[in-house]
This record gives sequence, structure tokens and C-alpha cells, in this order.
Amino acid sequence: MTTLKPKAESVKSPKPDSGRRSFIWKTGAAMSAVLASAVAGVSKSGIDPDAGLKDRIDRLSNQIAGMEDANAIRRLHQVYESLLDRGMYEEIVDMFTDDGEVIFNGGLFSGKNGGIRRLYCERFKSGLTGKKIGPAPGFEPDPSRQLDIVEVSTDRRTATGQFPFSLQVGIPMTEDSSLVEMARLQGEGILKWWEGGVHEASYIKVGNIWKIKRLEYGVTSKADFKPGRVYARQIDIPAFSKTYPADPTGPDKLV
Amino acid sequence: MHRFKYTKLTREQVDAKLAPTAEGPECASELSDALVGKSLKIVNDNGPTLEYSFRSKNRLTLSEDGGASVEAGYGALTLKQMVFFSHLIPKTQKGYNVYVDLDTNLTTVFEVWFSGSQAPDEREVQREIYFGYVDVAGQEAPEERHHKTNRLEGTGIYWKQDTGIETLDLFPSVASSNFVELTRHADDLSFCAPSDYIMVDDNIFIYERTECEFSGIMTMYVIDLFTETQAGMRLGFNEHDELEYYMFRGTGEVVGNLTSLAPFDEHGENISLGGAPKKAKPGQEPAPPPKGQRYAYRPGRTFRNMTEEEVHQAAEKSTRTFTGDANTPQEQGGGGMGGNSLPFSDLLVGKEFTLRYDNEGPGWNYKIVDLYNLEWRTEGDTQWQKETYRAFEADEKLVFFAHIVSGSRPRACRRIALDLTNGLTTCILSQMGTEYYGNEVSYRAVFGAAEMEGINAPRYVRHEFTDELVGRGFTRSYSDSMTSMHLYTTLHSSSWTIYMGDQTLGAQWCAPAIYVKLRPGVYIFDLVEEGCNGAETCIIENEKTKRACGFGFSGGERGVGLNTIGAIARDIGGYDIKRFFGPKMRGKGA
Repeated sequence: MTTLKPKAESVKSPKPDSGRRSFIWKTGAAMSAVLASAVAGVSKSGIDPDAGLKDRIDRLSNQIAGMEDANAIRRLHQVYESLLDRGMYEEIVDMFTDDGEVIFNGGLFSGKNGGIRRLYCERFKSGLTGKKIGPAPGFEPDPSRQLDIVEVSTDRRTATGQFPFSLQVGIPMTEDSSLVEMARLQGEGILKWWEGGVHEASYIKVGNIWKIKRLEYGVTSKADFKPGRVYARQIDIPAFSKTYPADPTGPDKLV
Repeated sequence: MHRFKYTKLTREQVDAKLAPTAEGPECASELSDALVGKSLKIVNDNGPTLEYSFRSKNRLTLSEDGGASVEAGYGALTLKQMVFFSHLIPKTQKGYNVYVDLDTNLTTVFEVWFSGSQAPDEREVQREIYFGYVDVAGQEAPEERHHKTNRLEGTGIYWKQDTGIETLDLFPSVASSNFVELTRHADDLSFCAPSDYIMVDDNIFIYERTECEFSGIMTMYVIDLFTETQAGMRLGFNEHDELEYYMFRGTGEVVGNLTSLAPFDEHGENISLGGAPKKAKPGQEPAPPPKGQRYAYRPGRTFRNMTEEEVHQAAEKSTRTFTGDANTPQEQGGGGMGGNSLPFSDLLVGKEFTLRYDNEGPGWNYKIVDLYNLEWRTEGDTQWQKETYRAFEADEKLVFFAHIVSGSRPRACRRIALDLTNGLTTCILSQMGTEYYGNEVSYRAVFGAAEMEGINAPRYVRHEFTDELVGRGFTRSYSDSMTSMHLYTTLHSSSWTIYMGDQTLGAQWCAPAIYVKLRPGVYIFDLVEEGCNGAETCIIENEKTKRACGFGFSGGERGVGLNTIGAIARDIGGYDIKRFFGPKMRGKGA
């Protein structure tokens, strides 16, 4: 789901923007708006029709390419969410750059094959974290915070994104009791809760493929909710207090 | 069975011991001739096609997937429309147990074998279940199949076989069962075994269990609940390493039910323990589970036994009392067994008293300092010893408190129920170590009376062991993330079963236990997970409040821990089985 119109840009501007320029829009609607303004611009121009037309075509090409990139980022995030939902943690790791970073629960996990693999393939996997569930009753987010926002840089090599999330988080119970051992046998023995918030991510294009450079779980609410319940209570989950290796699935750094 | 030393039979030994099976199973009843002269082609979903010809009532030939025919001895029994036949294939370690529904032509086939990869021991019988049908020329294959079910979850049945063997088979799980050997064993103890439950129709079911953590022997039978009759087979090696391969008939009695708390739309056809199914890569089917895979809790094999010296050294390094340390086995807190603890009681604070237990030597003097600290000494000593303690009010003015005996070797603890209305007291005395290994708790109950101001304790009346809980089942929610079900299977044992996410009962284990009656509806229940992790759970359960409170005591490499336990209970029914237990003259039995 996406929203917002494209940033207002003058179609008469002869120069491309220098520095970072953002594309924020609702796919489809934004495309229509761009094409409509392009047609209008062509029909009203009269001084140097060829030069103006070329500028506009270049700009439009850039804009369309930017939209394609923005859509690619959205698809990337959809794939990320889908893999997380299905517990395919190994595949998620491959979506990051080698020097990628994830901030989760007050910890920074660095490096695709270091901290990020540890986070997804050990911590998340052991807690079955990532199943997509609806928001906990009473903790439904502000609708305006439920918007996907993607910004692609002018050179189309980097991008940022914001995506709301509502998922189940878990950690395995650490006790040695037979109850926990037996629960683990049947795929359980996990303390589970709900978290909602916004993923804030930055992306980089490696070759022609977008990769996640940095992903931050911006948690706004945590509750003792599981699907089927009609109520939920806010809970406090302590942030990481130890780093790896003192915490075998902990972060590389506390933030 | 926790204490039997089962021989690690080699593949060659298994081969040699299986030789007599070439003649087919024995049977105390007359075997059926229902199949004599017939041929059956059994088509299995995801399994081999089996073509049988039955030459007599104990000889058949079999071709698997169109291969060469082999001859084998077999036996068959009928139960209503069901024909059940069993055979092994000579010079192999495998065979088939086939249930044919003559009304529908549907079949359930158990391929069984020894020395397979899914079990840690060659002696353990393994199985793969195939559902299919009898191929009848000119008829289309039926669409229906027998299937797994949760319809027996909660059912309990007493059986008496034509062999004279009597058992209680209790089904408190969709993947495991409890059984009590009423004639094979001298002790009234129950045990658990991974089990399969298959539905043929609304009154006919197939049940199978394999004593995975024990002898590895397999028992299976078809049940008709209308007539409470069975026809089955037993295959494997007993504790004396003797081959048991026989078929049996039996008659029984449904002795009760435990209430299932599973969703009403859950029929158990696809319940699978063992964690989430393997994930498939996008566009691919998930790989099938390995042949013979089943849920099997094997605590005896994964636990490291320690010596008394090792445990003592660990205890010297760390003896935790009510610290809430997440690394102690019976930890308190949300994820362990103390998340639903009762509040600590101050009923004893400021009191001084002497507890005197029958046949337990001098009394113990106590001074309760505050909510968390007490002092005690053996009567006659001059030195008081300080301890941390915790107390719960388990029933009106009935206090349950516990403390470690600091400095003791082996490390010991006391859990004391003290009735402030009559002075009666029971102490569960426990210490680390048994004759078997150092990190298994040994325990006993001692009964006595208190001497304290305002109480005139009885001289003769005591708390006492009880059978009032036998057969009953209660849920125990230690926290919102952990609920088990205690089933009080006999006077001397119990089992516990872990609820799955949808409140279907799953993984199960069992242990010897004791039960003490404190008041009507108020009991001490104490078990030690013998033969595996050696941990003790000691609780008072109050049927009126449906609350349990108590203490866990255990030890290991991380030290020794005494921690609180608290649970919310639901009464889920029970079995009328008390009458089967107690001292009695024993017949020949097995």
C-alpha cells in the first residue's frame, strides 16, 4: 500500500535536480499525474519545442525509472515480509548487502554473514519471529502511519523506505525444565508477543539488484497479543543488555 | 521401566532373535481363516503396492511393488468388519501389519522394521503408516481413506487380553499414550509411549504405541468401542531381550475420559509434532519427512548424569534459592513454572515453633524472622542457622514453605506443609542424589505435628498418603506461555502432557510420584523425573481454588536450585481406575 502524491516539481525546470531528489507517490496515480502534466507541458510550450520536449522526455524517463525503482523497492519489501512470515530466514539474509545492518530491540546487528545471519537464522528462527499478524486490539496504529513511503535518489543507486509492520515476535524459553524441552519437541517452548511499528530501511543497488543496506525495526507498541484474542495488554520487553558473544544471539553493538 | 537396563542389541543380534518370526506370530486365541484362499492387492498412498496370496491361515506370499514373491508366516484376527493380519518377511528385519476394512475396502498398513535410522537403538521397532485400499478389479479406487484422528484423545480403557495380561491404556494425547502394566510389572507405575491413533469409523479405531525410551517394543490393536473389544499384535524385545511376537484378542472397559480442550473444528487428521513442517522454497513442494519419523521424547538419553562429587562441587559454586535465575531448571518468572505463583504469605512471620516428625529424630526449632528469612536448628543445638525461605498460603491457614539446608552434603531442602489450625505438618525431605546418579533428587514424606503457641496438635492423627487423586487430570498453567496437564495415573506415578498452541495435548512424559492428603481437596503432589533429568516438582494443589503452589528442586552443572512454582488449574475429568491398584495377590500374568 502506498500513498501521497509526487512532490510538486515544475515541468518547466530546465535542469535536472542536483543532489538527492525524492519520488514519493502512489503507484498508478502518480504515473497518471506525471503523464498528464507532460502532455500539458508539451502543448503549452512554444519557444524551443525540440529542446523543451527533450528535457521533458528526459525528466519523464527519469521519473518513470524512479517509479520503477520505487516499485522494485516495494516488491523487495513485500518479498522480505513474505519470507519473514514463512520463516525463510536464510533467504532473508541474502537480501542484505555484505555490510548491511539491522537495528532491532536496542541492538545493532552488522554484516550479512555476521550479525544479520545471527539475528535472522538464530534469534528469529529460534523464536519463530516474523509471522504477520493483525494489530493487537487497542494498539491499532494511526492510519497515517500505515503508509508505505519510498524515496529513490536521483542517481537511482540508493533509496529509503518506510513500511509499517505488525508481527509476532518470539524468543525461546531458556529454562532447562522438561516442560520446556517437551514443548520444543512440538515446535513450541517460545515466549511470543506482538509488535507493531515501522520498518525504516535504506537500500542500495548492487548491479541491477536492490539490496537492503540498513533496516531498523522502529517499534511503537508491544503487547501480549496472539491471534484470536479480543484484548491485549501492553508489555515491556527489555532491550538487549549484552552483545555477542556474551549473548550468543545478541547484537554486535548496543544502540 | 525407568530403571531397566535395556541391552543395546546389535543388528546381528536382532537378526538372530527375529528368526522365529518366519513362522508368523503366536496367538492364544485361534487365528482367523478369513483370508485363506484369497488374494489381496493393497494400493498404498505414498507407499508400496502389496500383493498378497493367503495359502493357509498361517502362510502367505507377498510381492512388493511387483517384485518377486516371498513366503512368510502370518496370523490374522477379525474384529467386526476388520481383518487384521501381521507378518514379518523372513531374513529381513521388516514386515507389515495390515488392517483391512471389509465394508469399505479401505486399508491401514503399518510397515515395521528394526535397526532403522530414526531410532537410536537397533532394538526399537519403527513404523511408517500407509493409508490405502484393496484394489478390486472393475471397481474404481475409493476416494475415502482411514486417517489419523484426535477422537480418542482423553479416552482410557482397561484391557484384559487372551494372554491373561491386563493393562490400562490411557490416551491423554494425540501423539502419545500412558499405559499401566497391571500384570507384567509388580509396581503400579504408568509409562508413556509415542502413539498413533487412526480412525476407521465412529466406533472402530486403530492404536499403536512403541515404548521408545524403554524396550522399543511395539503394541498395536484395532478397537471396537461399541463392544469394548480389541484384536492386536505385539512385536519387539522385552527387558530380558526375549522376542515377543504374538497376536491377541482382548476385552475391556472404557474407564473414563479427559476433556479435550482442542478447538471444536480440530479433528486431528494432520496434527504433527516435531516442530513446524519443513519450509519449501518458492515454487517447490516441501520435502516429505524421513520414513519412520515420529515424535519421541527421549530424556534419558539427552541428560548427563553427574556423580555425587560433581553435583556437590556445582552446588558449592552455586546454590540458588528463589533467585529467579532464568538458568535454573525450575525458574520463577513468566516463562517457567513460577509465572502464576501465589503471593508470598506472611502467616508465619514472627512465629516460633518446633516441628516434630514421626521417626525422624529430634525436632526442628524454627524462628520466622520476616517474609523471606528464617532461622532453624535441630532441637538441642545451640546454633541457629539462617535460611532464605518462601511461604504460600495454600488453603485457609495452611502454609507451605520451603528452604534449602545450607551447607548440607548432598544439598538438601525441606518443603513443609504446616496447618496452623491443627498443628499437623508434612515435610517433603529431599536431597540431591540417588543410588543411580548424583543429580537425581531423592525424596520422602515425613508426617508429624507442630508445637507452637495456641495449637494443641493431635498425637495420633497425621496427614497421610492418599489415592483420592488417582485417575484425575488437571491442567497446570504455569504462565500464559506454558501449560501442561497432570494425569494422576496410579498411586505411585503420574504423567504430564504439554499442550500445543491450539490446546491439543501433545508431548508427554511420566514419573513416579507421591500424593499426600492435607485436608479434603488439598493435597501434596510430589514427583521426581526419575531416570532422566532428576528434577523434583513439589506442589500443594487446592481443588477449591484450582490453584497450585510449591517448589521445584533440581541440580546439574549449573548448580542446585530451589525455586517457586505456581499454576492455575482446570479439572478436565478423569478415569475410574483406583480399583485396579494396591497390594493384591498376583496371578501368573505374563
